[in-house]
Amino acid sequence: MAEPIVVIRDLSKVYRQGDINVIALNGVSLGISAGEFVVLMGPSGSGKSTLLHIIAGIDSATSGEVRVQGINVANLNESQLADWRNQNVGFVFQSFNLIPVLTAHENVELPLLLTALGRKERRQQVEIALGLVGLADRGHHRPDQMSGGQQQRVAIARALVTDPALIVADEPTGNLDARSAQDVLGILQSLSRDAGKTVIMVTHDPKAAVYGTRELHLEKGELARDSVPS
Amino acid sequence: MKGILQSIGHVLSLLSPMTWLGGLARLWVRWFGLGPFSFVLINAVRNQRRATLTVLSVASSCGLLVTLLTLQRELTVPPESEGASLRIIARNKVSLAQPLPAKQLATVEKIPGVVAVSPFTYFGGNYKGEEMTSFAQFAVDPARFRGLLVEGRISDGSYDEFIKDRNSCFVGADTMKRYGLKIGDKMKFTGTFYPVDLDLKIAAVFQGTVDDRGVFFHHKLLDELNGDPGTVGTWYLRVASAEVANDVIARVNQAFENSTAEVRAESERAFQMGFISMLGNVKVLTLSISGVVVFTLMLVTVSTMSMAIRERFRELAILKALGFRRRDLFSFILAESFGLAALGALVGIGGAWALWTFLDLQKMTNGFLLYFEVTPRIMASGAIVAAVLGILAAIGPSLAVARMSVVDGLKTLD
Repeated sequence: MAEPIVVIRDLSKVYRQGDINVIALNGVSLGISAGEFVVLMGPSGSGKSTLLHIIAGIDSATSGEVRVQGINVANLNESQLADWRNQNVGFVFQSFNLIPVLTAHENVELPLLLTALGRKERRQQVEIALGLVGLADRGHHRPDQMSGGQQQRVAIARALVTDPALIVADEPTGNLDARSAQDVLGILQSLSRDAGKTVIMVTHDPKAAVYGTRELHLEKGELARDSVPS
Repeated sequence: MKGILQSIGHVLSLLSPMTWLGGLARLWVRWFGLGPFSFVLINAVRNQRRATLTVLSVASSCGLLVTLLTLQRELTVPPESEGASLRIIARNKVSLAQPLPAKQLATVEKIPGVVAVSPFTYFGGNYKGEEMTSFAQFAVDPARFRGLLVEGRISDGSYDEFIKDRNSCFVGADTMKRYGLKIGDKMKFTGTFYPVDLDLKIAAVFQGTVDDRGVFFHHKLLDELNGDPGTVGTWYLRVASAEVANDVIARVNQAFENSTAEVRAESERAFQMGFISMLGNVKVLTLSISGVVVFTLMLVTVSTMSMAIRERFRELAILKALGFRRRDLFSFILAESFGLAALGALVGIGGAWALWTFLDLQKMTNGFLLYFEVTPRIMASGAIVAAVLGILAAIGPSLAVARMSVVDGLKTLD
């Protein structure tokens, strides 16, 4: 078993909604090894997206600890956290979340603007990333000129262009047709299997879960099952 | 019909500067790659209609502000002339309307430091039946008045002819041009202050003073027409140097203390400012209107920027997730707000400058506005107001973005 890249200990998250405390996560502990393709499943409100957001450093826990590559994310200040996300985490969202006024190439290039890479190196990186998702020839197209599947592949290219260790995907196939969903899942699977990236994906779809190497099932904010997808 | 309207819309969009700016941004990206500048530019013009309206709002407000400040300057700051510091006007201490005895001349001209003195009486007539003539007429002693002419030159005719002929006048070049007059022509004035009319022959023309509109004629003629009352309106003095001016003012005032006609002597500039104060508090009025303009400008800019940023909360949340810091996002918002405000200022201030520089306002206002000069200082004031508003407008949206968590931002609907 490889060294865990993500270590979670007794993680809790409580939201305040008016006068009511809503427990989103309740004492979750787990470890995720490098290169794993972890699928987070569970009913709505089970805390899977919250867990994903906390691991990715875009949300904070109420208590407990999250260490990614040995770094306690909660100890980073706003600037350090921003840098850390840029260098270590790639995001893929359900609704693609591309910048509509930028071309596919420019969307993928965005995270690289925060690096020290020159224009030429950035272009090379972007072309490689777009090539990996099969969109090398669509770089000059804007999102509204592409299908949903293509837009999601651009989002994956944007997620992996900085070569992060961790890729988090929040229902990446939720807005896609079956064929496009297969393509996207295939790419994520390949990133995990062939490129050694750690992929954590939230999904409702049992068919999508089979692409993962590990399935974590959450219920009412607690880890109910940790299994290998069948 | 729909096709025609679409075509018209397409043509109009091609004429919009925002379309050109959008194209410029795209070219910039092609040549220099994506960077903060091109990213800001692309975002600033992404909603071309709103960007155009914002720029036009700022432009019209800035243009109005510059116009008001120019008007205030025109009405409250008399033009500076090199000879103004050497000239003094002495009037009756009771009021400007009260005349002074003509016999005071002998005393005034003996005061040390005085190198020239002439009676200077405002006639206030209307030219050729006009309801309100915009240039002034003054009765002077031509021979003495020559010594008061520091700036300007005789551009036509002969000053000696003016001195010789009691029925002649000495006219400013602007008035000559405006009425198409030439040497030897007659100028008829109907008196309003005095119950007499004038019929003057143009003997000489002056040019190059700060106000080339006035008409000067013989005081003797006015005296004769009025039955030789032995009075003058004011005394117009020239002193040897600016350094002795205050001393001369004090001596003139002192010379007639406790007499039946005490005088109040003051510099030409102070005298002009006294006249201006009769207009009422123009400064307060124009500043109040300017304040309203600036406030409106602020509301327009702030609301536009807020709308533009609120629409993009989700995108800004994504940028945050990708690793952009608060200060990066603040810089983007600030640059966009500042850029739109600066473009509006450029259009508005440049437009006002061009309009007021190339329009003949003197002619259009019948001589009421003489210069209406949009000075660099006024343009800078307009630019500073626009820049400050651009910055202020960015603060609210920036704070909202800074406070926004990535998760909340991602939940925002497009």
